Parts: sequence; structure tokens; C-alpha cells
Amino acid sequence: MSVTTNLARILVLSLNLYALCARAASDEPRPKPENTVGVHLPEPVAPQKFDHAPKFWITDVIDRSGNPQPMQVLKSRGGMFLDRQPTVIVREALQESLKSGDLLASDASSADLEIRVYLFHFGLAEGSGLDFFGKVEFSAVVKNPKTGETAEVKATGTSIAKGAARKKNMQKNVQEDLEDSLKDATRNFLRGQQLKEAVMLLFKNTDATSVSNAKP
Amino acid sequence: MRNRIVLTIVLLFGLAAGSAAKDTAPVFKTAEAKHFSGVEGVELTPAFYDYFYAELRSELTKSKLVSEVIGEGEAVENADADRSVVITGTVIEYKKGSVVKSALIGFGAGMRSLKVDADVMRRSDQQNLCTIHVHVKVEPNWNEKIMARFAAQQIAKDMKKEFGPKK
Repeated sequence: MSVTTNLARILVLSLNLYALCARAASDEPRPKPENTVGVHLPEPVAPQKFDHAPKFWITDVIDRSGNPQPMQVLKSRGGMFLDRQPTVIVREALQESLKSGDLLASDASSADLEIRVYLFHFGLAEGSGLDFFGKVEFSAVVKNPKTGETAEVKATGTSIAKGAARKKNMQKNVQEDLEDSLKDATRNFLRGQQLKEAVMLLFKNTDATSVSNAKP
Repeated sequence: MRNRIVLTIVLLFGLAAGSAAKDTAPVFKTAEAKHFSGVEGVELTPAFYDYFYAELRSELTKSKLVSEVIGEGEAVENADADRSVVITGTVIEYKKGSVVKSALIGFGAGMRSLKVDADVMRRSDQQNLCTIHVHVKVEPNWNEKIMARFAAQQIAKDMKKEFGPKK
């Protein structure tokens, strides 16, 4: 068998492979203005009242979902995408809500407590198929920068929205669903018993440290 | 003739408004649904319990029995605690069902089934206000989350029957 024949065979095979890859790539949904949704908190969530009223600062929001495409919320039916990274959306929601309750510090140095958020899930989760099941789940590490002590606070938000046959309705329902689950998760975090206990614990230790430092 | 039509429309609107007003009086200030647990031997995924939790909250909101459905572990004002409830529960039985039995025998054989017990407790003193037993059966080839939906609907319906306005 001649070298030319072998080369021709390899060329034909590579062209076929290239065609298959190109076809698969064209099936992947891509973000376009008509399939992109903007998710924002409809209104800031009022946080719970604290005895000490500490000032918080969000140092970081880290994506721990393990999702290679965090902005893609739906793959089927042409796909649906977020306009920003989920970490940005969650940070904005928490900051707005803390600000509305006058609990947001102006900068990191003036903060009483620092918050580092680990985002585990943002978007749609597997539902019954008849509706959209929105879920936002994160864990926050609250740290007292003076003592270096930390406490973990978990938060989950869920929402169920109606399914939709038309694409326009689907986009509206998914957006509402994500906004509701984001609001729910923010509320669960800011009004949760876990945050209350974390603040009490971290402040109690600060008081104890300041008393021990004051003693001669 | 025209006056009669107008009068009928006004009466219908009046009746609709009356029935809507009757539905909108919430009995509880807040309701907190907890994630249900499963007894040993129940093979359901954590995703099922997550979905069930979300469906239960959604159904409670729809029932208008409570002013606010709060998330798990959220703090409640002391003043509202005696008018608030916590819903906990357990999945006591889950049978996957059999498509073959369902197709060959029929009459309910081989159906996928789920049994759930739910307790409604007052938040202030943890007193059990009622216990709800739910048994849901669906076709064996249906998604298990559809069962979660039906079970959540049944719990909300039973709560409405128990605490809602008596006819």
C-alpha cells in the first residue's frame, strides 16, 4: 500500500472527525440576548436585629459548585444563561440587604465581622419536570478579624415556579424562580438563628478578650 | 333585559369577592417547614427531600393559611411564637413499584407508593397541634418527585381542613 493512499485515508478520517465535532459544537446552546436573564433581588431583605449591631464586610464569594458553566441555568430548549456570574449576583444581594439594615461596613478595616461566602448551588435543580425548581445554597464563614475566630453559617433558598410551554413564558418563569430562590437564601442567611448565634459567640469572645486585656 | 345582565354580573362579582375574602384570613403568623427525614430502609435521594421541602413551602404559601412561610432555621419574634407553627415529618415507607405488575395485573398493583407522617407543632411550647398521615400512589414509571408534589399538596390540604375556617 502506497504512502499516498494512507495519507488520503488519514485526511478523510480527520475531516469526518472535524465535521462531527463541528456538529456537536453547533448543538451546544450559546448565550444570546433572547436567552439571557438578569437576576437581581426585587427588594433588599431586611436583616434581623442584633443586640450589638455589628458591621459586616463581605471579603469574598467563592464558587464551589463544581459547575464548569455556572452561568448556564438551563441546557435544553435552546439554553438559558445568566447575565453575570452567580458569585457577583450573591455578593450584590448580600451587600444590598446588609446596607438596607445599616449593617454594612464602609471598608474592610472598619468591619467588626468579615464574611467569606462559599457558593454551592445557584440555578435550577432537578424537579418533577412539570415545574422549575430554583435553588440557591451557600455556606458563609463569619470571622472576627480581631480575635481570628470563625463560625460557619449555612443558608438555603428554594422556589418552585410554574412550567411553561412558550419560550417567552419560560424565560419569565425561570427569572422569577431564580430571583425568589435568591431572596429566600438571603433571608435564610440574614434572619437565621445560625447567624444570630455566630454573632453572639464572636462578640462574646471579643468582650472576654477586651476584659482580659484591660486587667493589669 | 340589559339591567338583568348587569345585575347578574354584579352578583357574580360579589360572590367571587366574598369567597376570596373568606380564603384570605391567615390562621398562623409564620410556618416553618423542616426538611423531612426517612426511616431506615427508605431509599430516597437527598434531592428528593430538598424538592419535597420546596414543594411543601410552596403549597403552604398557596394555601394562605399562614402570613409568612419562613425558611428552615429562621428566627421568629417572641411575640409571634404562639401563632407560629413548625412542620416536621418522616417518610415512613417508599415502594418503587413494578412496571410489569402494573401492566400485567393492573387495578393498583405495582404502583409506586410513598407514606409520610407530618407533625404540626406550635413554636412557642412545641405542642403537637395535629399529625397528618399521607399516602400517595402513582404509576411506577412516573418521576418520584411527582409523588413529593402530591404529598405536599395533601399535607397543605389536610392542614387547611384542620385549621382553616370550618364550613
